[in-house]
Amino acid sequence: MIWLAWRQHRKQALFGLGVVALLALIMIPSGIAIHRSFVDTGYAACLDGFGRAEFVPLAQVNGCEQARDAFRNGQDSWQIFATLLIFLPLLAGMFWGAPLVARETEAGTHHLVWTQGVTRRRWALTKFGLVGLGVLFAAVAYSLLLTWWVKPLSRATGGGFGFLIFDLHGIVPIGYTLFALAVGILAGAVTRKVLPAMAVTLVGFVAVRALVEFAARPFFLAPKSRTFKVATTEIPNPASQDWLLSYSLHDSNGPDSNGGYAFCEPSVTCPDEGWFNFHVYQPGDRFWLFQYIETGIYLALTALLLYLAIRLVRRRIT
Amino acid sequence: MGTALSTALQTAGLGKRYGRTWALRDCSLELPPGRVAALVGPNGAGKTTLLHLAIGLLRPDEGGVEVMGHKPFDNPHLLGQVGFVAQDTPLYPDFSAAELIRMGAKLNRRWDTPLATERLTRLGIAQDRPVRKLSGGQRAQVALALALAKRPRLLLLDEPVASLDPLARREFMQALMGGVTEEGMTVMFSSHLLDDLERVCDYLIVLKEGNVRVKGDVEELVAAHNLLIGRAGEPVAIPGVAEVVRETHSGKQASLLVRTEGPVEHPEWTVRDVTLEDLVLAYLSVPARQEVAA
Amino acid sequence: MIEFHLDGHSKVATYMQLVQQVKQSLRTGLLEPGDQLPKVREVTEALAINPNTVLKAYRQLEIEGLVDGRPGVGTFVRRSLAGPTLASHAALRSRLNAWLRDAREAGLEHEEIVALVEITLRQAKKQDIDLEAV
Repeated sequence: MIWLAWRQHRKQALFGLGVVALLALIMIPSGIAIHRSFVDTGYAACLDGFGRAEFVPLAQVNGCEQARDAFRNGQDSWQIFATLLIFLPLLAGMFWGAPLVARETEAGTHHLVWTQGVTRRRWALTKFGLVGLGVLFAAVAYSLLLTWWVKPLSRATGGGFGFLIFDLHGIVPIGYTLFALAVGILAGAVTRKVLPAMAVTLVGFVAVRALVEFAARPFFLAPKSRTFKVATTEIPNPASQDWLLSYSLHDSNGPDSNGGYAFCEPSVTCPDEGWFNFHVYQPGDRFWLFQYIETGIYLALTALLLYLAIRLVRRRIT
Repeated sequence: MGTALSTALQTAGLGKRYGRTWALRDCSLELPPGRVAALVGPNGAGKTTLLHLAIGLLRPDEGGVEVMGHKPFDNPHLLGQVGFVAQDTPLYPDFSAAELIRMGAKLNRRWDTPLATERLTRLGIAQDRPVRKLSGGQRAQVALALALAKRPRLLLLDEPVASLDPLARREFMQALMGGVTEEGMTVMFSSHLLDDLERVCDYLIVLKEGNVRVKGDVEELVAAHNLLIGRAGEPVAIPGVAEVVRETHSGKQASLLVRTEGPVEHPEWTVRDVTLEDLVLAYLSVPARQEVAA
Repeated sequence: MIEFHLDGHSKVATYMQLVQQVKQSLRTGLLEPGDQLPKVREVTEALAINPNTVLKAYRQLEIEGLVDGRPGVGTFVRRSLAGPTLASHAALRSRLNAWLRDAREAGLEHEEIVALVEITLRQAKKQDIDLEAV
């Protein structure tokens, strides 16, 4: 059965290997360049200079702006590339997961293979397991690559919690990929045809990802809050990589309806003397904790979907 | 449900439903071993459903099915003794015949690789090309070789020749009958074509709209039916006739296909023997009624 | 070795056709005592028929004492059915040819000759004429 699963999917395996190799080919040289630019523009040194304090002098932050802009201007195209990488796990779901069961049922070959001397459960477990293992290896490989590659961009845009940045490094890509695979497999077992399965996979994956990212992730742990005056010489440390969930301006009467984040140096005439900023945030040092939580969620979903898929294969498909 | 050794395939009140439609209902069969049985009926009659229930691809909604005394659903041990050729002979298109044979060897406990390879070599079928490059007839032969390599005691085939040209059809039946001679197995194949049934099968099951219309040994069935030709008119009880299966009129002449319970003698009716084809067509043309067993 | 052919349109049962073809070959001398009949496997493959049919035919021939079935080896002809010798066949044929010439001269077409022969044969059968006495 292992031989059969390998023989059926070896082309896909080779293709997957090719994709990872292609990614490496693009990302290793570009990653080296990004890292070098990060150092050469002086922004790396600037960020290191902020240390670990909660607040740092405004003057120091302003002094780094030039280096920051110099670094970020050079990386525009890479930011677009990074956005495209968000869809990598979905590809695994659509092209490896959706056809896994659906191609057999669509072509009728399940009438061939399920009448040889192998139970449906063993068939399903072996196929899901082998393809899952292959996808896992690919996901680990490109997670490592991505994490290293995106580090400078991450530090320059506010840290690991940044929009799309969180999704692109650490261990969550592994969770996303395995989840996409499971969505594809279950979609194939339900629709029994490849193209509808791919469509369902697309919709299902995007819906769950959006739900978890926007509705759940901000609240994995209770967020913290901080306040500081608008008229200030110190602002929160940009190197802290905190995740700013909401920010508003308050005075003695309450929050300003327009919201906002403002500060001005006392040396200049500060119009808003009684105002202060109110921030709700997730501390940057919770990054890995959140990575584990989110990956755990996706792995649990993966297990559930695979269980349902095996049930369908065993009981319902004719 | 009867002793295991006396029947190759046994069903009792077997039924399968899709939604609210019954694809097969109240099907009771006892197929004796060593027979070549034909499962005949129009498209949608329930032939594929019955075969899939017998091979364990489907589970019954009503009644039961046993193959050589065992329930077939998800039963890999039984699958080692039952061969199956599905409709349109599905094969993995990019696998070569050799790889398909290898697959069989890996998945089945009992497998005779030389039997399969020698068959295909004798038929001149290339075994290292992807099977999608073979003709329809050649693919059917590959599917047959794969089923026979299990050395099964029961072989089930779902419309194996329906989409083949006459020459390929002939070659397939030749190969199938040769295989039957060698292995001494029981065979049941479904068909909606009636040509050459009499040459091949010695047991008949006629299905229509999910119901068994007639079943039994071919020789006995043919002997127990006659064609009566005479003048159309008032119905009259004819001695020896148990029931009129089908009555057709053309002008002044009436033809009755009847089931007999003794010799039929009547001055106004000419008695003729029936062919298997006459019998099948007659039972297929009547609306739902009680089935007849020989 | 005899080769079997089946007439799909004939109402005669398949196994009976095989029996008749063996007997015909015995009559015409195509098969002689000691000759082997084709193996069951060969017949079923050549004609795409049920092996039980072939077995039934061979068993019928065995019952009639015409063949011997030797398990594991094959089925062999036991005695012949050759009627008149080839010589008398030749005599019959020349007399037949002469009659045919007469019939053509009388203006009979091919179908009429065949019909005449069939009618006469049938009548002869009915009246139980002993052909040997002619």
